[in-house]
Amino acid sequence: MTRTKSALEFKQTTLENGLTVIAEINPEARSVALGYFCRTGSRDETPEVAGVSHFLEHMLFKGSQNRDAPSVNLEFDQMGAQYNAYTSEENTVYYGAVLPEFAPRLLELWTDLMRPALRQEDFDTEKQVILEEIALYEDRPSVMLFDWGRARYFAGHPLGNSVLGTTRSISQLTREQMAEYQARRYTPSNLVLTLAGKVDWERTLDLVQRLTANWSKGAAHRAYPEVKGTVGELREPYPKATQTYLALLAPGVSAQDPRRYAANILANILGEEGNSRLHWALTDQGLVESVGAGVDEADRAGLFYVYAQTNPANEEAVKAVLRAELNRLEREGVRPDELQRAKNKLATALVFAGETPMQRLMSVGIPYIYNHTYEPLSEIARKVEAVTLADVNGLLEEKPFSRSFIYSLVPA
Amino acid sequence: MALTQVEILPNGLTLAVEEQSWNPGVAMQLLVPVGAVNDPQGMEGAASLLEGWLWKGAGSRDARALADAFDDLGVRRASSSALEHTTFAAQFLADKLGPVLSLYADVLMHPQLPGEALEAVRQIALQELAALEDQPPKKMFAVLRRAVFASNHGRNPSGSKPDLESISAEALREDFARRYGPQGAILALVGGVSLEQAKEAVTNSLGHWQGGGVAHPPVELRPAQAIHLEQDTAQVQIGLIYPDISYDHPEFYSARLAAQILSGGSSSRLFTEVREKRGLVYSVYAVPNGVKGYSYLTAYAGTTPERADETLRVMQAEIARLSEGVLEEELERTKIGLRSALVMQEESSRTRAASITRDLYMMGRVRTLEEIETQIAAVDVPRINRYLAASPYHNPWIATLGPRKLAAK
Repeated sequence: MTRTKSALEFKQTTLENGLTVIAEINPEARSVALGYFCRTGSRDETPEVAGVSHFLEHMLFKGSQNRDAPSVNLEFDQMGAQYNAYTSEENTVYYGAVLPEFAPRLLELWTDLMRPALRQEDFDTEKQVILEEIALYEDRPSVMLFDWGRARYFAGHPLGNSVLGTTRSISQLTREQMAEYQARRYTPSNLVLTLAGKVDWERTLDLVQRLTANWSKGAAHRAYPEVKGTVGELREPYPKATQTYLALLAPGVSAQDPRRYAANILANILGEEGNSRLHWALTDQGLVESVGAGVDEADRAGLFYVYAQTNPANEEAVKAVLRAELNRLEREGVRPDELQRAKNKLATALVFAGETPMQRLMSVGIPYIYNHTYEPLSEIARKVEAVTLADVNGLLEEKPFSRSFIYSLVPA
Repeated sequence: MALTQVEILPNGLTLAVEEQSWNPGVAMQLLVPVGAVNDPQGMEGAASLLEGWLWKGAGSRDARALADAFDDLGVRRASSSALEHTTFAAQFLADKLGPVLSLYADVLMHPQLPGEALEAVRQIALQELAALEDQPPKKMFAVLRRAVFASNHGRNPSGSKPDLESISAEALREDFARRYGPQGAILALVGGVSLEQAKEAVTNSLGHWQGGGVAHPPVELRPAQAIHLEQDTAQVQIGLIYPDISYDHPEFYSARLAAQILSGGSSSRLFTEVREKRGLVYSVYAVPNGVKGYSYLTAYAGTTPERADETLRVMQAEIARLSEGVLEEELERTKIGLRSALVMQEESSRTRAASITRDLYMMGRVRTLEEIETQIAAVDVPRINRYLAASPYHNPWIATLGPRKLAAK
């Protein structure tokens, strides 16, 4: 079998109605992934409609004026599509992958669904599903930890808004409130249609232009109040927890910040599973069931986070070690050998990130939402390789972990 | 379409290679037949402890030096023990194959298993076991499998508390010497590596590996039963296990297609009836499952207590209704879905490596995608309906977990 790694091509255009279309074309791929990325999420909600972005994401699958819910489900399956959607604090993403012969049909379907019918009967049934989803996570303290921890950390800033909403907010939400939100947020200029894999660019453009010709223009606004992250510690008992769950949140870098490559490396050095500062200080000592660190790069704001799960008896010991390690990190910085190892692992990860159109869809689409630019994997690999010790230690000079918030969920 | 080349090396290790010459990376998947099913009596959790202990130093390297050596080669690695196996998965750049395999050879053949590190490993295992209380679906399934299997297949892969607490370092070292070995182990490499290169690297690193091959016990079942576990959860966890047919059955693909029609997409029967029409759940599914020697269909739903009876009733009715047959259009779109899943699976070297090792373990060979496509194409409506009428899904084991018992039938 001969298959050569051919050059990828990137295309982008903005239609007259304001809709941006982007594609990373790989003629050698055997599938096409495509979907709509909408710049809307729980941070764009007011308290009265908490959870509407996520509920709306479910409602899009209930169909448009042209299709009812069963026909939508049927069509995805008739194409053999692998597809789903998710909602975060900032984005609602609808994505799917099909064999190339079905790509125009998948494009037509997703595009139609962006203008949902929001029928009352479907709304009422789906509300029950959302309430079940809320109940599902109530039984998982590891998930509630972040929901509640973020709310306490952001303390009124919209980035602390829960994606799911609450039983109360969802129960009270009306179809009209949702329709108003949808009209305001799903404007063409607030959407990006992203494609990856074996894409026929000319045909795609022609089709999407026709399908969205009647979409009315409009601008969706997003507020950017200053983040004043809570500093300190908070413990909250939770009757559904038998273990102790810790989340440490600290100021990080945004999705637009050029230092984000360095921030990822720093998080890797701090908390990667198997070989990192926290691995040796906590996991290797048997003090935690698991520990990890990461970054959350958001729109003009960002976080470093640490997560740990432990036996309640270890809570104080774990916190003490965590504080000591973060102090040492800020005081001494990272070492050259740690930097090199983190880069080695990221370089391998980037090779595997290029394998499937579905992976590429996400890796191309999400950064584009924030930066309106495309970075091929080779360029990301170059930027990761170029990160210096001074770049990583520069992040630590701002003493982010001295402004940490440690939130713990403990057995009641 | 790529072809998997399989060879059994002189020491008994099965090596499978699928070359992708354009791929700069290699995905590795190694299955060692060390799992909860062959944990010695009184040592439930030994496989799990060993998996953690192995990383505490190997060859001349202590734990840190070992982890650093893997990182220096840019290896992304994960390992875990489960019911039937311990799995070592890794991704790395193709030109690192030799040195990476040498490191794994150290871990598998010359682990230090230092006594002073065992306590930490034990503490992690005990915490993992305790955390089951905070994961109701996982806890329910542990109870359900125990209700199905009288043999060790009903064990919780995380081990048992008294055993985890009491296993000694000496007993574990003996267990390691007995169970870890190339016999019955399966190594798959997918990516920028040829069979010849792979054989050379594996022979150089793991060629002297010896032993292993401790058999898994035969499967023994308990009679069908319904059990309830009381816990104050927001959702009731519902799990069902139905007897199903295995790979070696001539109607295997009829059964697989039926499971897809039941739960393969959002137009599938379970999703439509339980979630879409009635809004009873967020999650409901049925999926073919099994251990070597016994295949079954697992069905799951989570729902709030007041809707649990109805949810269970609708699920059981839909699963039973399969015996009345499927429609042409259901079968047609299910075939399209399976075909597209097969093609897309091939695009990911990691997925491919995992599915190669699974095939080799369950069937002793790797099915080609052409073979699967041909078998699927050969199932038509009369054939699948004949099969479903003759072999209805019935008489399940049922487990529920939640604030109150359901009216299970």
